[in-house]
Amino acid sequence: MEARNITFIVTKDCQLACKYCYLVGKNEKERMSFDIARRAIDYILDHETAFEEESVVWDFIGGEPFLEIDLINQICDYLKSEMYRRNHHWFNSYRFSFSTNGINYDSEKVQRFIEKNHEHLSIGITIDGTEMKHDLNRVYKGSEKGSYQSVVRNIPLWLKQFSNAATKVTISSADIPYIKESVLHLYSLGIHEVNINCVFEDVWNEGDDRLFEEQLMQLADAIIDGVYYEDYACSFFSENIGKPLDKILENQNWCGAGRMLSVDAAGNFYPCTRFAAYSLRSKKPIIIGNVYDGIDKNKLRPFLSLDRTTQSRQECIDCEVASGCAWCQGENYDAADTNTIYQRATAICKMHKARVRANNYYWNKLYRKLELEGMREEFEANKPKSNDVIC
Amino acid sequence: MIQYLIILLDETSASFCHYDNPKKERCLIPLEVLRQGIRFGMMENLMIQYVYPDYELPEEYKDVIESIDHSKIKPLADDADVLVLDAPQEINADKPVVLRIKKQDLFALTDAVAKMLKSVPRLNVVLTDVETFTDEDFETYKKVLAGFSTEVKKLYVEGKSPQLNLLTDRMMLSQMNNCGAGDTTITLASNGKFYVCPAFYYEDEADSIGDLEHGLDIKNKQLYKLGYAPICRHCDAWQCKRCIWLNRKTTLEVNTPSHEQCVLAHLERNASRELLQNIRKHGSFLPEQEEIKEIDYLDPFDKRDTWQ
Repeated sequence: MEARNITFIVTKDCQLACKYCYLVGKNEKERMSFDIARRAIDYILDHETAFEEESVVWDFIGGEPFLEIDLINQICDYLKSEMYRRNHHWFNSYRFSFSTNGINYDSEKVQRFIEKNHEHLSIGITIDGTEMKHDLNRVYKGSEKGSYQSVVRNIPLWLKQFSNAATKVTISSADIPYIKESVLHLYSLGIHEVNINCVFEDVWNEGDDRLFEEQLMQLADAIIDGVYYEDYACSFFSENIGKPLDKILENQNWCGAGRMLSVDAAGNFYPCTRFAAYSLRSKKPIIIGNVYDGIDKNKLRPFLSLDRTTQSRQECIDCEVASGCAWCQGENYDAADTNTIYQRATAICKMHKARVRANNYYWNKLYRKLELEGMREEFEANKPKSNDVIC
Repeated sequence: MIQYLIILLDETSASFCHYDNPKKERCLIPLEVLRQGIRFGMMENLMIQYVYPDYELPEEYKDVIESIDHSKIKPLADDADVLVLDAPQEINADKPVVLRIKKQDLFALTDAVAKMLKSVPRLNVVLTDVETFTDEDFETYKKVLAGFSTEVKKLYVEGKSPQLNLLTDRMMLSQMNNCGAGDTTITLASNGKFYVCPAFYYEDEADSIGDLEHGLDIKNKQLYKLGYAPICRHCDAWQCKRCIWLNRKTTLEVNTPSHEQCVLAHLERNASRELLQNIRKHGSFLPEQEEIKEIDYLDPFDKRDTWQ
């Protein structure tokens, strides 16, 4: 089912100061007011024909969204009542989605909110793996203290409430040696779906691709030898990656920027959160409208007409392992030589190729094992799913 | 490939396109910069187009200007190759005329504009407020084009061959013919720096694409080419100016036109289609040109699901 993703940047504050965080402009001042949220909702619901997707994901991000649980509760109540009052086609076809650091997951207010909205909730808690790996990056603001213990204590409650919950892991250069043990650690915590990706920013050092490949090979062996593949998924391993892409038939843009909508505390609309000022290192924000004047459709046209080949270098167009090589439109814009979204950043190139090699190894080894055991058909019918979540 | 070099001879050089020149204080391009610009043009095999202010230049400039083959874009009639006007005039000219005009003036002065078709070999009507067009304005524009079409057809039937960019260009084209800023054309300003077009200079002097000392440095230069413009490369409104400056102003990308630019170009395209059909009712006309197809859209962006 096609869903529209609409994001409220409810706060730019967070308890943590993760070292890989792309949000360079986090602060304690920019908190959304209910008036701005209400205006955004009214604009969106007033323009039903412009938002014709069958369903909607109302996404709440920060900073740390649960720092604003009172506001979120008020917004969600208003959304429900307005979708009902207007007999909007999204009524009963909506989700409230959260990516949280998990620190105050067990607070009374958050728990009351979960109980009230459970049927329509998706909550992802970010935990990066082992304590060492997690605390390498996910440290408290103003100190080097890691946040692992504050998060891991809430994992059992989270898994009890959301048995199919998935976590998202982000890899930058310093994390590479810990990938295998981290994924296995997350499995041991009872998390069955680990969505994991390398950051798109140009953070990689010489030789990182080889280290990365080695870690993934070790992870592949561990998953296959430990028979984790039956019940657990890791998005690094996907049968669909590492193939050439047809210039014409497979020319779609990877990123959904422009088909999403974000609104911040000032009431500005963005094609995706990554185009807000606090996400950008070196470029001006791309504002496509605001809650008072609505969306300037002309500013969406570049996003909605963007395709893969127009933004790619010839090397990428001709790449024999192109499928699954992702990009973030916001990072492309931030890293581009001019103010354009039409220049693909390629900092991730060597890491993708390393992933493809390890991925090929994984599937060759797994399928050979399953064939020898006569289990391949059964596996293919029941294999666990993961998402190639990239942002 | 860059083929044309526009040289702005003065800070107050006339605008000949969609942009307005906000500069009011006269300040000639330094003679040395002009000389170096000409030298650059010679070395790169560029056709030079000088854009003049509305006053007479000093003699020493004239000598330098004449040191290379060129064309003159001027707001004064005397020796211009292209004459630029900011309002319709009763004029008898043997050179192309650019008429810069706002939509309301065009709508109100349709007859005066149509009259100019009889007295100039070519009339380029340039709307200076494209981005402000509303659905109502589109309807009015369609009627204005129909009025021009009647006048042009009448002249053709009389054996004359007037040229009006909005109507006759599309009939005669077999591929895109756009402004070419950043692709085939660059601009040299008085500070010795190159710009995508004069509008980029007037908007932000820091937005240069190189200078005389270090040469051209056009970053992401592919984005000025048709093949890297997803909407335009699927379009057959070949007469469209595809204004790079308006693109960036309205959509923030040099390769993406606004809805308004696309609809205007398609209203012109469709009016050209009808004009071609009507002229052909009176005999053979442009026999090598194919019919312009009937289409069911005014903005190619709306058909993006059908692109391959």
